[in-house]
Amino acid sequence: MVKTEEKVEELTNPNFFVDRPWITIVWDDPVNLMTYVTYVLMSLFGYSKERAHELMLQIHNEGKAVVSSGRREEMERDVQRLHEKGLWATLQRDDH
Amino acid sequence: MTTSTAFNRHGENSFVATFAETEKEVLINLTEQLIEILAERVDDAYRDPLAAMVGITGHDSPPDDEVLLRLLPNAYADPIESAEFRRYTESGLREKKRVHAMSVRTHLLNETSEQISLDADSAQAWLGALNDIRLALGVRLRVEENSHEQLELLAPDDPMRGVYAVYTWLGWLQESLILSLMDDEQD
Repeated sequence: MVKTEEKVEELTNPNFFVDRPWITIVWDDPVNLMTYVTYVLMSLFGYSKERAHELMLQIHNEGKAVVSSGRREEMERDVQRLHEKGLWATLQRDDH
Repeated sequence: MTTSTAFNRHGENSFVATFAETEKEVLINLTEQLIEILAERVDDAYRDPLAAMVGITGHDSPPDDEVLLRLLPNAYADPIESAEFRRYTESGLREKKRVHAMSVRTHLLNETSEQISLDADSAQAWLGALNDIRLALGVRLRVEENSHEQLELLAPDDPMRGVYAVYTWLGWLQESLILSLMDDEQD
């Protein structure tokens, strides 16, 4: 038996209806040119040249970077667009 | 005898490069290989024509071929989610990549002079196709982060030596096209 008070508390939690967001990750690969990765991030996501360059370096140096986040359907579309350009991308639920 | 030059931006909406005849032939040949490898799988035990019409494929397993797996990668780490995604998207992805490669092939076949001139739309098709060809060659050459020194030292009679030369040439060509396009983005 659940106390009503507890129930109400759970429902009024602002995160109750909000799913954890999904993220799109681009992984490092040895073939794609650094300029190409920067260019694709600029043209697909509208990032500035500086921001796209930063993300490209993160991909290159750390092996991966989160390039977008949002609803699952949106991330599936982003992954599709990245695959079309030949970048190695996956989506997953944000585990942070 | 013509010498090739990389892509340069000419005015508002034109990207121009010159190709030697042999280079055109090599690139035509590579686009044809790409078109062929991207052809729809025919090993489906069951193929629903209506599903095919709306781009749903009967198969959902990742491709066996390493090159195809790189061109059509998994979208999820989880194989079940990945299979579901592939079912609804792989066919469309194949088609887009094929269209890029066919556009480059047609362009090269129809151009009698050594000069190739692209508008913004065809530049995007070229960029995609050049990248897909490099991805495919990279898999066959087993390119890794630091393998360039090794690949530079391939024996003169190693068939991969020529493949590597084409791979680096295409990288140079693609880079020149990207830089010309980025020039445009800043205006």
